[in-house]
Amino acid sequence: MGSGIGWVIPLENGADCDERYIGGKAAKLAQLAHAGYRVPNGFCVTTLAYERFLEVGNLANTIRIELGRKPLESMRWEEIWDAALRIRLAFLAVPIPLDVSQTIEAALEKLSRVRAWAVRSSAPGEDSANRSFAGLHESRVGVVGNEAVLDAIRVVWASLWSDAALLYRRELSLDPTRSRMAVVIQEMIDEQPSGVAFGRDPRGTQRNQVIVEAVPGLCGDLVDGMVDPDRWILERSSGEILEWRAGDRPNDQTRDPILEIDDLNTLLQTLRNVETLLGWPPDVEWTGRAERFTLLQARPITTVDQESGDTRSWYLSLRPGERRLSSLAEQVAQELIPQLEGEGERFAAEALDSYDDKGLAAAIEERYTAVQKWRQIYLDEFIPFAHGVRHLGIYYNDAVRPEDPYEFVGLLKGQRMVASQRNQALVTLAHQLREDDALKDTVRQAVHIGNSDPAKGWQEVRAKIRALPRGEEFLREFEDLLRGHMDVAYGSDRLADRPESILKTVLEMAQAANRARQRPLDGVPADTDAKALEQRLFDAVGEDRREEATDALTIGRLSWRLRDDDNVLIGRLESQVLRALDLGANRLRAAGRLHAGAKVGIAAGPAVAEALKDVRGGPVILPAELETKHPSLTITAGETPRQLIGQPAAPGLATGRVRSVRSTEDLGHFHAGEVLVCDAIQPTMTHLVPLASAIVERRGGMLIHGAIIARELGIPCVNGVPNAVDLLHDGELVTVDGHLGIVTVGPPEFDLEGVT
Amino acid sequence: MLCTQGQRQPYGSVVAFALSRDLRAAAFATPMTTRKYRLLSECARVALVIDNRGKHPNDMMKVEAITATGRAGQLQPGPEFDHWAGLLMARHPYLKSFVRAPSTALFRIDIVRYLYVTRFQEVRQWVPESGG
Repeated sequence: MGSGIGWVIPLENGADCDERYIGGKAAKLAQLAHAGYRVPNGFCVTTLAYERFLEVGNLANTIRIELGRKPLESMRWEEIWDAALRIRLAFLAVPIPLDVSQTIEAALEKLSRVRAWAVRSSAPGEDSANRSFAGLHESRVGVVGNEAVLDAIRVVWASLWSDAALLYRRELSLDPTRSRMAVVIQEMIDEQPSGVAFGRDPRGTQRNQVIVEAVPGLCGDLVDGMVDPDRWILERSSGEILEWRAGDRPNDQTRDPILEIDDLNTLLQTLRNVETLLGWPPDVEWTGRAERFTLLQARPITTVDQESGDTRSWYLSLRPGERRLSSLAEQVAQELIPQLEGEGERFAAEALDSYDDKGLAAAIEERYTAVQKWRQIYLDEFIPFAHGVRHLGIYYNDAVRPEDPYEFVGLLKGQRMVASQRNQALVTLAHQLREDDALKDTVRQAVHIGNSDPAKGWQEVRAKIRALPRGEEFLREFEDLLRGHMDVAYGSDRLADRPESILKTVLEMAQAANRARQRPLDGVPADTDAKALEQRLFDAVGEDRREEATDALTIGRLSWRLRDDDNVLIGRLESQVLRALDLGANRLRAAGRLHAGAKVGIAAGPAVAEALKDVRGGPVILPAELETKHPSLTITAGETPRQLIGQPAAPGLATGRVRSVRSTEDLGHFHAGEVLVCDAIQPTMTHLVPLASAIVERRGGMLIHGAIIARELGIPCVNGVPNAVDLLHDGELVTVDGHLGIVTVGPPEFDLEGVT
Repeated sequence: MLCTQGQRQPYGSVVAFALSRDLRAAAFATPMTTRKYRLLSECARVALVIDNRGKHPNDMMKVEAITATGRAGQLQPGPEFDHWAGLLMARHPYLKSFVRAPSTALFRIDIVRYLYVTRFQEVRQWVPESGG
């Protein structure tokens, strides 16, 4: 350590220390302490200690491998989260080097009277007027014991590589490999009240105003949004109270302000003095009053740009806390999902054929509006709740420290999802065909006779099946399946409109040997099932935290189930829009107002409804369908892929022929044992997955739908493969390695080299 | 790294090489007394492995590697020999006397395919004969 800086610097010695070694938070605290302000006792673990940890643990290479699978700018948020989870577990698996940990423990012992610690991030460049990492790096409070402090330090170090921190750095065009992390360790102060104060209005509009917020308890309650604060706006120079708002305190009958005039004056004077000391108007966290008034943090105010919005708030939403998740769980499971399901069922039950044009137009508008509403709810409620399973993943890994960062997925097995009920119905029908050769042969012949009129063709198929002894029963159950499970949208098509395609899938399932059985997860120990993993978690957290662990499990499992269900149910709703639109479009075509080949998707809803209401009857102009654009692929003539890399989304190894599924047209062509290749598996088409020997997807993520169902069924899956659908051709032989995330194309032959 | 084989045993040797402009051929030189020379006389099938680890000593995800497979044949004195010797010496001027020595053999490799590796396990294949 040629710099002369050690692994640890006491805060009282940090005022002259280069911020590169102790980070912004520690540097400001040291300056405040040096200037005579009361700050909690403590020390800083320097960035040199972090670098030593990386070096001894060989973690820099781990980070490079995780972030090097594809360019960071092309990674989806889910893929970055997946990499961040692996990095976090790698950090927790490596002990802090002995020389560093001994130094830290010696520093803790010097403050031996401290009962509990706050362990907080202090990254160089963390906060400025233009950017703030507040809330994006982790902190731990109430940490008791040396071991727990060392653990907390590793968690804080790892948070430099969290999804939110990486995304924010990407947005700021900062090179994450140049990031470093120092850690501030201070005694927990048990004072109240606590709060924050801004030397200027952070909205930037009223620069002569000061804002103070206070809560009865700890500052963390305010910062985490758990308690609604009292709020004052003061005139900066005079201290006049311009506004006061009482915080929402349901259990507190009094409405008296938490702070008195003296407290506000102390804060105002502190803000002025700190601004003079540090050279910029500060954003401070504080606790206590009078002679116990203590500063916890001071940083530059990050002005919110009203036009561009604060994207940091979106990154913070990626990690909803337990409270938010619990409240979402209740709302999503008890209210929203039943409402969504009910609305879909109501729409499906309406006999639209009997409506006149105006009635049909109203039905289309009602459905279109419903879909827009639910798509927004999906973004605002369902997606945040889907983080429940990620919360469980982090919780499990922090407690258990498993070898496999995705071992926690085993806790989620056996959830009764809508899609698994559908798959079970398909398996039952396939079993009927397997047991009845005559029925199977008839179905095989019937579905392979083409007919230019799909509706007429299906009637012919029905007639042939009905003619057989058990045909009526089979047909009834099949049509129950279509109505109950397959009336969903896939893209801008309805699966229920393609009964022959679904029947082909049932036939494939019947003909494939042992496709429908559940296989154990490859790579997971034979004795590992959900109960065993659950017990492993409980053993790791101990009896004191069993209730907390149970809550995390409950929410994680519910989140896992509902994130699949909500997609299927929205797909059902979309199918009802399409059903109404098909009817409306057919009427307009019959009237010569719409081109026969015009594709009518959900976006055309308002235009079709207007046309039906428009008695003048002119030609109908539909909006262009939006296409999702992916980066275009440039291939040199003669170039072919040999190995494609992606995420190892579900373990296993399988070889098979490629079959790409791009649209509903392709669904019925998928054969058992083929490798399913697609852009993104939707829950509405996961009924194909039990037939597949492996899955390859362009869209990446360890916890997306294709990965979920592949792991359930023990099928290898590699996703996050750029341009998978363009690079892999139907019929090509591929080997999918779900352990390593590699898709090998073609056999390993030297066929060309042997030619003379 | 030049990969040769003989008596059912693969073998590797670090060689200096030069490539043709169209990347369909490469050349290297070797003393006639070497093991690889003897192996090449028995089996013409070779591979050439080229990588840039030196540029990225700390980041394996940035390392690129190419394996070129093909058939190696010794060049006899004449215009083609002179052409390839010239290419090799232009790229490696410090090897001039080595390349010109009477006991050095010059080989041309007709390349059948390239396998280009990036990001540790991403592999693309290019066959020069198929165009481009």
